[in-house]
This record gives sequence, structure tokens and C-alpha cells, in this order.
Amino acid sequence: MSFAAAMRYRFMKDLGAPALMAARRAMRKKRPSRPDPLFGPPLKSLARLKEIMMRHYFLARYAPGAHPVAWVTSGAPVELLRVFGFYTFYPENHGAMCGAAHMAPELCQAAEDHGYSQDLCSYARCDLGHYFTGKSPAGQLPKPDLLFASNNICQTVTYWFKALAHYYDIPLILFDTPFNFDQITESDLRYMAGQLEEMITPLQRISGVKFDQAKFLASLELGRATSETWGQVLQTMRHRPSPLTIFDTFFHMAPVVSLRGLPVAYDYYQTLLEELRDRVARGIGAVKLERKRLMWDNIAMWYKVRDFSNLFAEHGMNFVVATYTNAWAETIQYLDPDDPFRSLAKTYSLVILNNNLDHRLSLMERLIADYQVDGLVIHSARSCKPYSVGQYDLKRLLMERLAIPSVVIEADITDSRAYSEEQTRTRLEAFFEALED
Amino acid sequence: MTRKEYLQHQKTQRHRRVVGVLPALFPREILWAADAVPAEVWDPPLAVSRAGAHLQPYICSVVRQSLELILSGGADLVDALLFPHTCDSIQNMASVVHDYCGLDTPCLFFYHPKAPYTQHSRVYYRDQLQALLERLQELFGPAEPGALTAAVEMGQRMYRRLGEMYARRAGGNLGLGNEEFYRVLRRGEYLHPEDFIAELDQVLGRPAPAAAPPGPAVILSGVVPNPPGLLSQLDRLGVAVAHDDLLMGSRRIPSRLPAEGDPLDRLTESYFSLPPCSTRSNSLARRAAYLGQLVEQTGAAGVIFLIVKFCEPEYFDLPNLVEELKARGVPSLVLDTETNQPYDGRMATRVEAFIEMIG
Ligand code: SF4
Ligand code: SF4
Repeated sequence: MSFAAAMRYRFMKDLGAPALMAARRAMRKKRPSRPDPLFGPPLKSLARLKEIMMRHYFLARYAPGAHPVAWVTSGAPVELLRVFGFYTFYPENHGAMCGAAHMAPELCQAAEDHGYSQDLCSYARCDLGHYFTGKSPAGQLPKPDLLFASNNICQTVTYWFKALAHYYDIPLILFDTPFNFDQITESDLRYMAGQLEEMITPLQRISGVKFDQAKFLASLELGRATSETWGQVLQTMRHRPSPLTIFDTFFHMAPVVSLRGLPVAYDYYQTLLEELRDRVARGIGAVKLERKRLMWDNIAMWYKVRDFSNLFAEHGMNFVVATYTNAWAETIQYLDPDDPFRSLAKTYSLVILNNNLDHRLSLMERLIADYQVDGLVIHSARSCKPYSVGQYDLKRLLMERLAIPSVVIEADITDSRAYSEEQTRTRLEAFFEALED
Repeated sequence: MTRKEYLQHQKTQRHRRVVGVLPALFPREILWAADAVPAEVWDPPLAVSRAGAHLQPYICSVVRQSLELILSGGADLVDALLFPHTCDSIQNMASVVHDYCGLDTPCLFFYHPKAPYTQHSRVYYRDQLQALLERLQELFGPAEPGALTAAVEMGQRMYRRLGEMYARRAGGNLGLGNEEFYRVLRRGEYLHPEDFIAELDQVLGRPAPAAAPPGPAVILSGVVPNPPGLLSQLDRLGVAVAHDDLLMGSRRIPSRLPAEGDPLDRLTESYFSLPPCSTRSNSLARRAAYLGQLVEQTGAAGVIFLIVKFCEPEYFDLPNLVEELKARGVPSLVLDTETNQPYDGRMATRVEAFIEMIG
């Protein structure tokens, strides 16, 4: 690591970032918000969330040279990296940002121009498009020293990250998590825990920092507490009316995904939880008229979040739970500081996308009951085969077992070229009618 | 005898079990040791109808057609189904079949570790072999003593012959056209190894041809040599496929065949000597080097990538492989196909133009 880069990073952290935040706050004060006819008052925590994420992306530009930089997949056990002082960056989070900023088609096209098929995951295409063009809604991304992936969400990330390893000519560490077809076995656990322990040597080498067991345990505890608090945040949505919509949580989940294992994420969720509990106590709903409560399946359609948010609120419908946002809280109970590597393996390998469909069905049934769900919107995401294959059966079975009406939207997570407004509107109209029956 | 008749014969006359196996990498020897015949399902020639109720249209045709086969009674003959962990689509399709299709047929899963490998990968792979054998014995009864060692040796005999067949083809002295070569090779997808080895011996026993085909030689890369129309067109054009980098082909032929030791250790050693493959997540550098080496060793004038539409593992590696070949001055052609799609005029014209260009 270079001294000059470290000084520059420090300067930006101590002075640059606070100045940027202060400027934002001043700008915000000038814009008074008007009451919205559809939604409850905006959450105060939202401003804090924006600051946290903006600061994270801003400082990321100055991290190379000052910190070892790792690009990490959303399901990788980042708690281990925290011990070595890695600055972590999440290409999937960046992909979501590209989708929300309507930049995905352009970046995906750039990847396609370099031979990547339009049928590949669009997070990957956004990221590769950024590699080829240097374009991003976040400005400049930090050049990585390490790629850290886990295939507990999909095999796609292993193909995608190995392409990045090739382009950037840097090491790739994979946490290989055998898919849980039936039951996790002792051999699976041994294999996964063994890999985690074996990673320590290359992580020490790449970061130049020695492994410290006490730091590791502290990072695990912080990660655990963050996920647990995130779970409590989601649980506030069990109340009628729910103090949040799932569209809010798509943004509020950013710290638990990208900053897990750091105090800032934990502190943020404590603040958010307090605000939500206060709303629950005062009966303030995120959607003013919450007549029907819905569940969302699969990753967000980032380019449609605002439109969908309005559309459903207009119909007096609120999404109160999603299998997607739940994923970062779902398995945290397995984490055990007395058995850190094995329990970390269990926590990360039993997540929804690394688990069989029967598990997913039971989970959905439980969520439907706990959150008093009236209907289900299934996003069949062209990008994401592990999330989407099996959805047709889930739809059928949930209807058979719980008589839950549902609709399938064929679309994509970021690439709006794969979305048909007309077809979706027709399907949604039929769904709205079915819900009112 | 058709494939179905053969498998029925194995069951009724040889009292063997039949296990339907989805692509791609699986330890055949473990199945043989349990006296089961693997019947691989890659590209059954079926139009998708029932499977459409379970799978989105953006899932590859290998998976869609395989599910169609299972749903339309194709699984009735088999005593179990085996799903290797090849890609996200097969992974979830396995779960659909196991959890939701209401089949009585037992479903088995086989996870193989993904690269980059660590020292734990080998131990885990060996554990997986052991677990599969145990599961098969639970289903089909105990294996004969020594059956596993015998199966490993049978496997080695088969791989040696396949290696020889590939080597002789590369040297232009095998005497099989492209279509015939893959017809022979693909019989290994369901024949018991004893029968398959006998057929390979027959092929290898034929006299070498007087002359090699007149056209340029090519390498085929991809998943399956399908549509078959491509192979016959290459035959007509006098083009020899000198080697392949096909998932159902050379990517399943290990380079190390340990002569002795514990049979599971020998299988493990062989598995980790397989050529690089997208589905094992081997690095791009290794894949590019392997392809480059095939081109160099055979003197092939170009590479044809036969990509199954929607195949993520292959799609991701493709741009870099094309680039690397280009850097070495090797032209390539990419054909994006659905298995069993008619070999249409457009595709034939592209192939012809490519052959003319490299010829
Ligand atoms: S969207 Fe799906 S395929 Fe793409 S990275 Fe995420 S989990 Fe993997
Ligand atoms: S063709 Fe590709 S996507 Fe389809 S089953 Fe084979 S490896 Fe998977």
C-alpha cells in the first residue's frame, strides 16, 4: 500500500466526505417536501442511507493504494475480509444502481458488442460494460486487487468473476458452497469450513495484514447483529399498516449487502428500526391506503421500482415481504462464535438460492402466513436462472395449497429491453381483478 | 437395437439397473460398480410442450428437452435419475423434478467442486464418490466385492481406446467421417462399457484410410455435436473435425489414469486431470491454452463454436476464447443453436463461407 494513497484516502475520509455530505444536506434543506397523496411521510432515515452509500462510493475512488480492494459477490462471507482491512465493492449493487439509473441498456450493449450474449445475467453485463467503457452512474469504480466470490447465489458469478480475474489479471478466491439438493452433510460442512480456513493465507498475502482471531470474531458478531437487526426491520412490516414498502427495502438493504461487518451498517439499522417502531406505534403506514398486502418474488426490476411503487399504491396495495430482501436475514441464526468457520459455512450455504425448491416453498408459505399476504407477484427474471427456474411450480403450488392469487411478470432485473410494458399491464390488470374477487 | 430396446434388454436379460443421467460430468464407474447402466440424456429429439409449464422459454434446450423426456414417460424405464451439478439450469430443474413433478423415480444428485480448486476439493470430490456409491447401494443392494476396482479398470480401458480414437482421428488415420465418429462416440452415452469397448475395438481394428479428407481441418467446441446436419455438411465439404472441445466429448476424457491404488483415489486423480471446462469453472487462461494446444497439435485451420442457446457457462467463456484464438491467428465461427433445430440454409451458408475462408 502506498503512503501517498493512504494520506489522500485519510484526507478524503476526514474532510472530503464530510464536506460532500454537508453540501448535500444544505441542498436538501432548500427543497421542502410536499405531502404525498399515496404514501405516508418519507422516512427520516432515508437521508442517512443516502449519505452512507454516497460516502461509500465516494471513498471507494480513493481506496486503491490505501486499502486492499476486493470486489465481492452479494452472498460471499465478507466478515472474513473485514479482518484484513479490505475496501469492499459489490458489482451486483453497482448493477442495481445502473438499472435504477436507466444506464443498464447502454452498458449491457457495450458488453454485447464485446461478444457477451444478451441472454447472460444483466448484472454481469453491466459490470463488463463498465469494464469496456469506464462508464458508471457512480463515477469511478475502485480497481480491485482481489475478486471474492461465492456460488451460493448462482454459478453465474463464478463465470463472471473469472472473466474479471482474466481482464484485471488479479486473483479470484471462490467460496464453493455445494447446492443443498436434499440435506447439508457433514462432508459439505467440512469442505466449506476447510475452504474458509484455507483462504486466510492468500488473504494475508494480498492484504499484507496478519489474521487476527479476535478481530474475526468481532467482525462476525457485527455481521450477525447487522443481519439480525435487518431481520427485525423487515419484521416491522408484519404490522397493519406496514411502515415500509418492499420498494423501500430494496434500497434500505444496501448496507446489509455491501457494508455487512462494519459498524456503520449496524448503526444504520438501529436508527431505522427505532424510526419504524415509532411508526408502528403511531399507526403510520408507508402506503396511506393499505387494503391488500402482497409478496414479491425474485430480485427487483430496478428500472421500474418507482413506477411499480406508484401503480400498486394507487390500487391500495402494499408489498410487505419479499423472498429477496429476506435473504440477508434468513440464516443468520446458524452463526456461532464458538464454531466460527463451520457455522459461517452453514449460514452462507443455506440461503434461499443455494437451497432446494421445497425449502423455498416452505419459506414462502411461512412468509405468507407471517405477513398476512393476499397476493403474490412473481418476477421471472431473464437474468437470473437460479431464482427463476421453478417459479411456475411455486405459483401453482401456492395457489393449490393456500389459494393465493399470483401473477408472473416476464422481465429483467436491470435490462429494460427485456421488459414489455403492454404485456405486464395486461397481466397486472387481471391480477388486480383476481385480488378484488 | 434401438437405445430403448438396448436398455430394456439390459434390465430384463442382464438384470442391470438403468439410471437416467443428465449432463454432464459424473462418475460412470460408480454406477457400473452398482451394476447400473447410465443412460445419458443430452438432446432427446422432442418438441417441448409439457416442460413449458415448468420452465421459462429462456432456459436452454438441453434442459427443456430433458425435462420433456422425463415428463412424457421417458423416465418410466429408469430405476433412478442422476443430476450432476452442471449449471444453474440443471440444478433447479433437478429440484423441480425431485420436489414438484410427483415422480416415484428416486432422484440422485452429484455435486462436483468448482474451480479455482483448493486442497479440500479433492477430499470433497472423493467424499462425493463414496456418498453416491452408498446411495446406489441403498437403492439397488450391495455391490459385488471388487466391483468398484473392476469398474475403474473398465473405465480406464474405455478411456484408453477413446484416447486412441481421438489421436488417430487427429492424425488423419482413423477412417471415420465426422458423422460416424460422433455416432460411435455417442453410443457410449448408454451402452454398458463392455459393449461399448467392443464397438470401439471394432472401429480401431479397421484399416487406416488411404487418404485424409481433402479440406481443411477444424476443431469443434461447445456442448453437444448437434444439430447433426453440421457434421454431415462438414463431411460433404471434405472437412475433418480433427479434435473437439465438446462437453460430451473430449472434456470428459481424463489424461491421468492411475494404474493402482484405492479405486476412489484413482477416480479422483482422473477427475482432476480432465481438460478444462466451463462447467467446472476452470480459468479462461487454461481453456484458451487447451484450445490453442488442440489447434497446434492437429494443424486445424479454424474452430467452430457450437453453442447451445442460453447456455451460460459457455456464453461467458466465449468472447475470451474467440479473442485468444484471434490473437493466435486462428479464425473461428460461432453458431448459436437449439439442439435438434433443423439445420437450416442460413447456418449451412455461414459454415460454407467459413470453410471457404479457412480453406
Ligand atoms: S442476478 Fe442471479 S444470476 Fe445474476 S448474479 Fe444475481 S443471483 Fe447470479
Ligand atoms: S447446455 Fe449449458 S445451460 Fe444447458 S444444461 Fe448444458 S451446461 Fe447447462
